[in-house]
Amino acid sequence: MARKLVDVLEEQGMSLNLQAGGEAPKEMVDREVKEGATERAAKLKDIYLQTLSSVTCEFPYWYNRVFQANEGDIMEVRRGRALKAGFEHLTPSIYPGELLVGAKTQYYRGSFPMPWLSEGFFMAKEDELYQAALASGSASADQVSAYGAGGGNVTESFGNVVSIAGKYGIRKDEVRVLTKLAREWVGKSVDDVGHRYEQMVPEYPIKEAVMRSLICMFDSGYTLPQGREVINYFYPLQYGYDGLIKMCEEGIAETAGRPDGDGIIGMSRLYFYEAVKLVLEGIQTWHLHYADEAKRLAATEKNAKQKKEYEEIAEIMEHIAHKQPRNFREALQMIYMVHMASVNEDAISGMSPGRIGQVLWPWFEQDMEAGRITEAEVLELLECYRVKMTCIDCFASMGVVGGVLSGNTFNNVCLGGLTRDGQPAANRLEMLLLEAGMTCQTTQPTLSVLYDDKLPEEFLLKAVECEKSGTGYPAWMNNRGGIEFIMKNYGPEGMNLEDARAFSIGGCLETSPGIWKELELNGKKYWIPGGAGQPTSVGVHFISNPKVLEMVLTNGYDRRIDLQVLPPHNKTFKTYEELYEQFLEYYDIVIDCLVTTNNIQHDVWRKHNMSLVNSFLKPDCLAKGQHIGNMGYRYNATYNIEDTGTINMVNSLYNIKKLVFEDKKYTLEELTDALINNFGFKNADEIGSFSLEAQEKRDDDDGRYDQIHADCLRSFKYGNDIPEVDGILAEFEDWYCGCGDKYESLYAKPFYVCQMSVSTHAPQGAATLASADGRLSGTTFADASMSAYPGTDRNGAYALFESATCWDHSRSQNSQMNLKLHPNAVKGIEGSKKLLDLTRSYMRKGGFHIQFNIVDSKVLKDAQKHPNNYRDLLVRVAGFTQYWVEIGKPIQDEVVARTEYEGV
Amino acid sequence: MARSLSPIGVQQDLSGRIFDIQSYSVHDGPGCRTLVFLSGCPLRCEWCANPEGLENRVRTLFRVMKCINRTQDCTRCIPKCPHQAISISDEKEIPLAIDWEKCRHCESHECVDACLQEAFVPASRDMKVSELMKIFDRDRHYWSGKGGATFSGGDPMYQKDFLQAVLKECRNAYIHTAIETSGFFPQETYLTTMKYVDFAFNDLKHMDSDKHKEKTGVPNELILANIAALAQSDWPGRLVLRSPVIEGFNDSKENMAAIAEFMHSVGLTEFNLLPFHRLGDSKWKSCGMVYPYSMYEATPPEKLEALQKVLLDLGIKAYVGSDTPF
Repeated sequence: MARKLVDVLEEQGMSLNLQAGGEAPKEMVDREVKEGATERAAKLKDIYLQTLSSVTCEFPYWYNRVFQANEGDIMEVRRGRALKAGFEHLTPSIYPGELLVGAKTQYYRGSFPMPWLSEGFFMAKEDELYQAALASGSASADQVSAYGAGGGNVTESFGNVVSIAGKYGIRKDEVRVLTKLAREWVGKSVDDVGHRYEQMVPEYPIKEAVMRSLICMFDSGYTLPQGREVINYFYPLQYGYDGLIKMCEEGIAETAGRPDGDGIIGMSRLYFYEAVKLVLEGIQTWHLHYADEAKRLAATEKNAKQKKEYEEIAEIMEHIAHKQPRNFREALQMIYMVHMASVNEDAISGMSPGRIGQVLWPWFEQDMEAGRITEAEVLELLECYRVKMTCIDCFASMGVVGGVLSGNTFNNVCLGGLTRDGQPAANRLEMLLLEAGMTCQTTQPTLSVLYDDKLPEEFLLKAVECEKSGTGYPAWMNNRGGIEFIMKNYGPEGMNLEDARAFSIGGCLETSPGIWKELELNGKKYWIPGGAGQPTSVGVHFISNPKVLEMVLTNGYDRRIDLQVLPPHNKTFKTYEELYEQFLEYYDIVIDCLVTTNNIQHDVWRKHNMSLVNSFLKPDCLAKGQHIGNMGYRYNATYNIEDTGTINMVNSLYNIKKLVFEDKKYTLEELTDALINNFGFKNADEIGSFSLEAQEKRDDDDGRYDQIHADCLRSFKYGNDIPEVDGILAEFEDWYCGCGDKYESLYAKPFYVCQMSVSTHAPQGAATLASADGRLSGTTFADASMSAYPGTDRNGAYALFESATCWDHSRSQNSQMNLKLHPNAVKGIEGSKKLLDLTRSYMRKGGFHIQFNIVDSKVLKDAQKHPNNYRDLLVRVAGFTQYWVEIGKPIQDEVVARTEYEGV
Repeated sequence: MARSLSPIGVQQDLSGRIFDIQSYSVHDGPGCRTLVFLSGCPLRCEWCANPEGLENRVRTLFRVMKCINRTQDCTRCIPKCPHQAISISDEKEIPLAIDWEKCRHCESHECVDACLQEAFVPASRDMKVSELMKIFDRDRHYWSGKGGATFSGGDPMYQKDFLQAVLKECRNAYIHTAIETSGFFPQETYLTTMKYVDFAFNDLKHMDSDKHKEKTGVPNELILANIAALAQSDWPGRLVLRSPVIEGFNDSKENMAAIAEFMHSVGLTEFNLLPFHRLGDSKWKSCGMVYPYSMYEATPPEKLEALQKVLLDLGIKAYVGSDTPF
C-alpha cells in the first residue's frame, strides 16, 4: 500500500501542524473545500439572485395620508401616527421554505422612497422635478455615478415595470401615486426646508459651488440621515413590546405636565413617550399580520412539513409581537424584525447589527444546554439570516447608492473584541457566524473581527479560513486602537473603559460607541453589548483631497464645470510650505461651509423627521424620555469629516515639493499646465476605462508632456517606506486628525475625522483633473485611505505597512487598508497561519483596519467580459463586500488594477 | 521617533549585488519571510527562472512590452547610448534591436534614464550590509515568530563574503535565516557559510553526474560531498533537499530512487519537489537571451504526485511545491 506523507511524518514523530504551536482546530483540516449552504438557504439565496430591486408606495402612501390628516398635532406624535400607519399597512409576504420571515416591504427585495426627506431625486428623469434637481448642486454626484455600469443590478423598464432612479423597478400604476406623493412634499421635505435655511449661511454660495465641483460628494442631512452606527436590540429582547409599551405608559404618567427642572425640553417627554407608544403598537400589528399570513398559508398548505413550518412561524410571530423571545430562533427572528423596523423609519444605510454573537448568546447557550437546538439548526438559521439581511435595499438617489455605496447597505456584524471585564469575547456562536459566512456567501451581513491579541488562536484561524473562501469578509479592525479612539472621543461625555469595550463597527468601518446592558433570561444574567451613539458619517461627507489641491493650483477655479469654486488666493508660492499652507486654508474653507449647512439640514431633520424607532432602541432615550434629536442617546459627539484620495494627494504634494521647489526641474506653472492638459492624454470617460494603465494619448499630442509625466510617475511614492513621502502623510494626518476640534455639530460637540473611501474614489476621481502624482484626469483615486495607488507599492507588503503606520491611527475614527492577495499566497493550513501573521503584524504596528481580496485578477478581468457567468462572485471594495456585477465600472477597473500580492 | 538599536558610527560595511527583495514570502522557509535575491550563480541550468541573476554584474533589462517605439515612434534611447548598441529592429515582435555584446561592459546605463516608459531597467543594485539589515529590522515586525530572512539568487554563496557578513549580523540580531543554494562551492566556503544558517534548501537536480553536467553546466560530486559533509556534521540547522522536476531530465523513478538512497546514506529525510514553470520566459527575453525551455509545459500535478509517491514509499518525506509543513 502506498504511504502517504502524513504517515511518513507520523513515523518521524512529526505532524503537518507541528510548526504552529499546537494542533490546528479540527474543522480546518478538511475545510480547504468550499462547502455549500443548506438546501433551504441555497434556494432562498437563489431567489435573491434572481430578484430585481423593487419599489413600492404602500408604506409612503399610508405614512403620508396619516401625517397629513394629523396636521396641527405635535410633530413627534404626528410622525408616530404616520409611522404606525405605515407599519400597519405593510402587506406580509412569506415564502415557502423560510424560517425567518419579514421584509422591509411586501417584496423579497423591496424598498420605498421617503418623499418627506427629499422628494426631488426619485422622480423619473423626464419629470420637471428631476430637471430642477439637476440644476442645483446636489445632483452632480448623480451625473458622474453611472450606476450599474458594471453590468448587473439595474432594473430597466419592461412590461408594466418602470425603471426609477436608474436601479429600481416600480409597477407602472404606482408611478402616479409616487408623483402625487412627491408633489405634496415640494417645499416641505427636509431637503427643501433645509435648503431654504442653509442659504442664509453667509458661506452658502461656496458650499453650492463645492458640491457642484464634487470637492464634496453629498449632503448628509436628508440623503441618509441615520446609519453608520450600531443598533441596540436590548430593550425588545429584555422586555418584549408589551413591556416597552408599559414603559411608555409609565413615562407618560410620570412626565405629563412636569418639566422636572428642564425648562427647554422637559415637557417634550410626554410627546416622545406617546409617539413611541404609537410606533410600538404599529410594530406589534405588523408582526401579527405575519402571524395571520402564516396561518392563512398553513390552512391551505398540503405539504405536511411546510404546513407545520407555517404554524411554527405563526406561533413565533404571535409570541414576539408581545413578549421576550423564549429561544434562539425567536430571538433571531426578533432582532431581524427590529432591524427592519429601524431601517423603515428613515433612509438608512449602515445600520449595523453589531456584536450579535454576543447579543444572542444567552438564548444560544440555554438552548444548547437544554438540547433544544443543534448546531446544524443554528447554522441553518444563520444562513437564512444572511439571505434576509442581503435582501435589504436602500432607496436613495443614484449618486448616493451607486456612487458612494455601490448598492451596499453595510449591515456589519462584529465578532471578537473583549468582554466588559476585559476577557476575550469570541464565543461558539461567533464560530458558527463565521461558518455561515462561508457556507452561505452573501454580501450581508458583512463580518468584521475586532482583533485583539487576547483572542483565541482557533477563533482567529477560523476567521482567516472564512476570509480565504474569497468572500472578502471578515475585515479586521484593531480592537485596542478602537478602544483608544472611543475613550478619547467620548471621554468628555462620560465614556469609561468598560463601555469602551462594547464598541462595534457601524457601516463599513465606522467605530461607534456602545454600552453593556444586563439582560436576564430565565433567571440568569448576561452583559450584552449594543450601540449607544448617534449616527456617524453624518456631517461633512467625503472631501476630495486631490480636488482641494487642484484648487490651489488653479487659483480656486474648477475647469471641469467652469466655475470659480473657492475664493481666488492670487498667490505666487515661493516655497512648498506656502503652498501647503494655502492647501490647508482652502481645506478649512471647504469644511466650514459644509459644517454649517449640514448642521441646518440635520436640525430640520431632527425637528421634522425625528427618529422614533431607533430612539426607543438605544440607551438612554426611554429612560430620558427624549429622542435622538434631543440628545436622548448616551453619546452624541458622532459627527465627522470624511475625506477621499489621501494617497494621491500625498504623492502629489511630494512631487510638487521635490520637482518644483527642491530640484526646480519645473515651475509650478509648467506643472499646472501639464495637469490641465492631462499630460497629453485623452479623458478617461472617452476611453471607457478608469484605471491608469488603459489610458490613451490624444491624437494630436506632440509629446511635450512626456518628460514631466515620466518624472511624476517615476518619483518616490507612498507605500514604499520612504520617509520623505511618508512624512508628508504624517504631517497631513497630524493636522487633519486635529482639525475637527475647530468645528461644532448641531449638538454642540466637536467633529472628528473618518478615513475610508467607500466608493467615492471613483466619482470624485472622475471629477478631478490629472494630479501631480501622474494620475490622469478622470481616473479613479487610490482606494481606501491607506492602500497604495495601484502599482506604486513596489517594495512589498511590509514596506506598505510601514508607510501606513507612520501616524497614530487611534486619532481617527478609522483608517482603511485593502490588500489583494493571489490565492496561491495563502494556500493550505500554513497559508492560513501566514495570513494571520500578516494581519496580526499590521494590527500590532497600529494599523486600524485591513481587509483582503483573495482573488486572481484574471478571474476579475474575465468577469468584466462575461458578467453572466459570475453572478455570485463576491469582491471586497472598500469597507464592504459586494457582488462583482453590482458595482460600477470605474470601481471594477480600480479593483482589477490593485497591486496583487502573490507571495510566491 | 523610535531609536535604532544598531551600533552608532561607521562599521565595516560590505556591499553586495541584489536583484530583488520580496517581502511576505511564504514559500521559502518557515513562516512569513523576506526573500533576498543575490546575483551570480556557478550553475547554468537551462530552465532557470531568474536569468537576470545568473551573472554578478548590473545587467540592463529591456522589457519589450513597455517599449512604445512601434506605437509612438519613440527613439529617445537610441542617441543616448554611448555604445551605439540600440537600433530599430526589423523583427516583428521586438521593436528595438539590442547589441547585447556591447551592452555587456556598460556601466553607465544611459538608456535607463532616457526611457520614460521604464522599458530599460537595471536588473540589480548594490546594497550595503547595513542597508539590508535596516530592511530586516523593519520587516521582522511582520514575520511572526517563525519567520526570518531567506537568501536566494542566483546562488547567494556566489557572493560569499557579503553573504557571510549579512548572516553574522542576522545571528547577532536573533534573525532566523534560510538559504537556497546549489551547493557547488568549495567545501570550506559551504560549511563556513552554513554555520550561520538556520534552514537550508540545497538543490539536487540529478544523481547522475554526467547528466547533471549536461543540463546545469557542472558535475554533481562536489554538491553531493557538501551535502554529505553538512548532514553528518554537528550543524544544528534543518536541511531540505529539493529539485525542480524537469521533463525528460530528472523525472524518472530511477533518479528518485537514487536520490532516496543517497539521502538515507547521509541521514537526510526531507525532499521538496518543485513543479517546473515558465514564469521566467519573459525575463530571458528581457536579458536578450533565448530561453531553451520556452516550449515546455508546467509540470502536471499527476506527475508530481507520482514522483512524490516513489519517494514516500522509500521513506523520504517528499513535499510538492508549496505544500510543505513549514
